[in-house]
Amino acid sequence: MELMSWSNFLIIFICCAITMLACRVVPLFVLKGRNLPEGLEKALGFIPPAAFAALVANDLLDPAMFDAGIWPAAAPLVSAVVVGLVALKTKSLLWSAIAGVAAYALLTLI
Amino acid sequence: MLGYVAIGIPCGILEDSIGLNALQAFLLSVLFYSGAGQFMIPNMWLAGGPIASIIASVSLVNTRQMLYSAAFAPACKGVKKRLSFLFAASVTDESYGVNVQKFSTGEWSVDRATMVNLFSQSSWTLSNVVGVLVGNAIGVPLAIAAFAMTSIFICLLVTQKWTPENALAALVAIVGVFACKMIGWSGPAILIGAVLGVCAALAFSWAKGRG
Repeated sequence: MELMSWSNFLIIFICCAITMLACRVVPLFVLKGRNLPEGLEKALGFIPPAAFAALVANDLLDPAMFDAGIWPAAAPLVSAVVVGLVALKTKSLLWSAIAGVAAYALLTLI
Repeated sequence: MLGYVAIGIPCGILEDSIGLNALQAFLLSVLFYSGAGQFMIPNMWLAGGPIASIIASVSLVNTRQMLYSAAFAPACKGVKKRLSFLFAASVTDESYGVNVQKFSTGEWSVDRATMVNLFSQSSWTLSNVVGVLVGNAIGVPLAIAAFAMTSIFICLLVTQKWTPENALAALVAIVGVFACKMIGWSGPAILIGAVLGVCAALAFSWAKGRG
């Protein structure tokens, strides 16, 4: 893996910081208490489930993942189910991360 | 507050694993200040995503802050511009929840809410920097650190409100990511998948509204 250089870091950092600041500040000053247009509000509401699902899918799924057999390729999927259950039960990022790392370490080491 | 420390340290460890130093983690935490965003940058970098795709995806996820910003607009009526700006710039998912609850009691002010935000931000920044130093010192195996990140995304996903529209958005996003990888577009897969998911959910809710 290539490490991130200062110049790449600065490009990503500055662009992300600017869009973030705009998203946080602009609506407050522009709307002055009015609501966002309904369509936009709806679309914004759909972004988190879609984006987090895409991130999870990107980490867990790969078209070639079972080419070398089902195990150990299924270990991350089994760990993910464990995390999902813990997350539903505790609603805690911290417990989910601990459960995920523990399950993943156990399954890949044995 | 403890939550920020507990998530900030692993976040710092990941930032270290892609070659960022303590100063860079500090800058990210102070000026960008986003838990999901700061996990996404190392995640997509490890996945080999092109820079433009990383920026677009992180910014897309950050647009949810517009909802928070709009929600606080009434509370900031008659408050000094500079304070409103500082308050708005330091809102996050967690402090949004805390402050909405406090504002609803009626005995809460923007300057106190800003204090909550800044206190959260300091603990986040500090724990990120500590994470980088810890990661530097002990060298956590990358596969395991990366799975901590995946676990956090899973938790964020399953704790969404499960309306039919949201479920469709998630499902289409997953299929979209997989399809992109099938045709070899693994770099922008996250961005394309997420946008497809949002479009599908919008189309669905529009069709439902008409029918």
